[in-house]
Amino acid sequence: MRKKYSFGTLLVTLMALLVLAGCGSSPAETKTANPESPKKDAAATTDKEKVVNIFTARHYDSDSVMFDEFTKQTGIKINEIKGTAEELVERMKREGESTEADLFITVDGGVLNYAKQNGVLQPIQSEQVDKNVPKQLRDTENNWVGLATRARVIVYAKDRVKPEQLSTYEDLASDTWKGKVLARSSSSLYNQSLLASFVELNGEKAAEQWAQGIVNNFARQPEGGDRDQAKAIAAKVGDVAIMNTYYVGKMLHSKDAEEVKVGQNIGVFFPNQDTTGAHLNISGVGLTKHAKNKDNAIKLIEFLTGKEAQTMLTQGSYEFPVNEAADKPELLKQWGTFKTQQLDFAKLGEHNKKAVEILNKVGWK
Amino acid sequence: MSSVSVIVRNLKRHMNGWVALSVLGAFVALLPSLYIFIGLFQQPNDNWQHVKEYVLKDSVIQSLWLVLGTGTFTVVIGVTLAWLVAAYDFPLRRFFNWAFVLPLAIPPYIAAYTYGSMLSYTGSIQTFMRNTLGSTPNQSYFDIMSMKGAIFIFTLFLFPYVYLITKTFLEQQSSAFIENARLLGKNSLHIFFKIVLPLSQVAIIGGASLVAFEVLNDFGVTKHFGISSFTTAIFKTWFGMYDVETAIRLAAWLMSIIIGLFVVERLLRKRKRYNSPTSKMNPLKRRKLRGFPAYAALFLSILIFSLSFLIPVVQLIIWATWTYQDVLNAKFAELVANTLSVSILSIVVLMLFAVIAANVSRASRRSTFTLILTKLLAMGYSIPGAVLSIGVLAVFISLDSQLSGLYLWLGWGTNKLVLSMSLIMLMFAYVIRFLAVGFNAVEAGFEKIGTRYSEASRLLGMGMTRTFFKVDLPLIKGALLTGCILVFMEIVKELPLTLLLRPFNFETLATKTYQYASDEQIHQAAVPSLFIIAVGMLSVFVYHWLGEKHSK
Repeated sequence: MRKKYSFGTLLVTLMALLVLAGCGSSPAETKTANPESPKKDAAATTDKEKVVNIFTARHYDSDSVMFDEFTKQTGIKINEIKGTAEELVERMKREGESTEADLFITVDGGVLNYAKQNGVLQPIQSEQVDKNVPKQLRDTENNWVGLATRARVIVYAKDRVKPEQLSTYEDLASDTWKGKVLARSSSSLYNQSLLASFVELNGEKAAEQWAQGIVNNFARQPEGGDRDQAKAIAAKVGDVAIMNTYYVGKMLHSKDAEEVKVGQNIGVFFPNQDTTGAHLNISGVGLTKHAKNKDNAIKLIEFLTGKEAQTMLTQGSYEFPVNEAADKPELLKQWGTFKTQQLDFAKLGEHNKKAVEILNKVGWK
Repeated sequence: MSSVSVIVRNLKRHMNGWVALSVLGAFVALLPSLYIFIGLFQQPNDNWQHVKEYVLKDSVIQSLWLVLGTGTFTVVIGVTLAWLVAAYDFPLRRFFNWAFVLPLAIPPYIAAYTYGSMLSYTGSIQTFMRNTLGSTPNQSYFDIMSMKGAIFIFTLFLFPYVYLITKTFLEQQSSAFIENARLLGKNSLHIFFKIVLPLSQVAIIGGASLVAFEVLNDFGVTKHFGISSFTTAIFKTWFGMYDVETAIRLAAWLMSIIIGLFVVERLLRKRKRYNSPTSKMNPLKRRKLRGFPAYAALFLSILIFSLSFLIPVVQLIIWATWTYQDVLNAKFAELVANTLSVSILSIVVLMLFAVIAANVSRASRRSTFTLILTKLLAMGYSIPGAVLSIGVLAVFISLDSQLSGLYLWLGWGTNKLVLSMSLIMLMFAYVIRFLAVGFNAVEAGFEKIGTRYSEASRLLGMGMTRTFFKVDLPLIKGALLTGCILVFMEIVKELPLTLLLRPFNFETLATKTYQYASDEQIHQAAVPSLFIIAVGMLSVFVYHWLGEKHSK
């Protein structure tokens, strides 16, 4: 009787529970480990051909729709791990050649370059992809290719600002706009990339002066996301905001009638048309260095950049397609064509650190 | 006598299976933290200079404001409500008794997005004023995305930590003191300030420190509201300057600060332990409030409950009716199942370690050795989730490469990433991250029953293990359940660890909610948010029901 509750019993219970915990997780584990599991040497090929593993920082439901369509057409299953881009790069780095990731997808050119610099990507060799995506939207060594672009532009109050008053990003830092400019916080990658583009185009000093000027002109301290800036225009907190175009598309098609109203009351202005062009952000996909399902992965890239998927993508997200053949939504057609910044997207990644330092320095919250 | 010899002596005196197991547990739990901590001793790179110059001071000040503001208000609200519910009877008291725990089911970042949208220009309140009343109010009245707003959000959704721990303490522990004071004719105010507050100091500090850790670790609220807290600085350094090293160095500093807080907390409560002087534990007898005080209590309760639960939930339900058709599908059922299974498995392991560690800590009467041991065990709570996840990843990947021979022998092929591609890694991270929550609850339970029962048992010749099962376990059952519930809700809400450490295709309710919310699709986020809240509500309800049954 005394022995009944010995320490040994406790230990055994503990072990049993741990084993149980292990077993409990095994269904998911076998499911996920499948592409790489036992049959690797022998029957591998048939099993292996059916999968692509993706590390992705894009979280749109429209992406899943495209993936499902791909699986339907080819029978290749897609596994996803979602996360923040930098975390995923860190993970691939640490996993080294054992990584399960075949593709890396993210929403910023700078991060794609960061992944490349960290040596987790390899060139994508496919004529089809080269045909689908213009050279400017691909990495110089094809380590990654663009999937979609989004312009970061100036949005204004239609009732208080005439488009003629607007010209360049640089002008937003002038005294004309004192107390009228809205932007989200400097933790936003979009703001960092925008500033990085100025470091490249105008030099570090001018970029810092610009950031300082914007901070001086803020209508309020940065807060919220891009949509919140549009709402602040509607609420007359400020007159102009720095915003990504696709948010305007999403607001105009929102289920919330009030958001639609806000979307209708703001105008989209593509700045710097006479100078350096509007700033573009790129969403892209990279092939991982140790991809184990390389052929399938390339098939997927070909599909994603093809006409059909590009149409699906832009209809769902109001981003600009990289493939000219895609059908654009009506709104994007209305905006027409515009001049964009002509620079290597890799530069955005190179200058990102500098941009963050500047943002810290000028006190852009 | 040197402290080393004291430690050695203590070690010898208390060395048994319990201690061995907690040492082992502490060691394993410590590995990722150690990895982070080593960052402090490496040569800093150039970025560190920049961070020190432009980032550090501001982020420390902002974090301090957050912690002090939230700490003060959670204690005021938590203790007031705990005292009200424990000591008085007023209309709907039985409902509020457990309803005040419900805000815990709402992750602060969801609350922040919800309140942010609700109070925004297109939110329900301003829309109503504009379209129905025809007035456009001053925007600054509605500007919740600020320091004040963040404190508001954190207070409303974290005060239950203080409430729950203080209430449990007051109900079961304080009756002798309070009844005596009442007999001696002291009025309520006097009793509250002179007896309740000092008496429940340990519980209050315990609850408040949980609140402080939550605030220091938060990323969702601070990022959305544009507050440069310590954690936002870590992320900005990592994601913006692409500098993991400096980010880890910042995290190591944050960790050191929090360990400092731990020590201060411990010193504060070292000499202040109030166990009931008699062995009989009489629950506190509640007094019935009548007239004005009863209405005031009811009003206060309704106000807090509405702000911290009812209003945001109703808003989420409205949004959910707009979007449920797009969001609810077969995959959604999988989300729920994933969330539940991974939480429950993790809790079982976690609570086991919590109980072992707390029992060791108590039996050794808080010697320096066990003090350090248990604090190390709880250290995971002090590291921001995303940074901890890097530590965990590093440990698991190296473990996997050590074990690759074994995998080969088992016929699993040359696949090197077995553990780090499995749920075990995520569960491991949960256990380290939330051990402190479980441990605090169990420790509070031990604190409440004191040591005389187990001392008696040991005196009568029972071993530590037998004493534990026969004497202690039945007495701390309530505390154990509290721990389980708190940990459960934490895991269901947890985000950064889940985002980074989950296996392929493993989505939980939290990751799905975050995905929508961070893409500014708050309306779509409503459905998974409501599920998280429902899971939390259910566990609060079960806990309450068990508690009622137990007390009868």
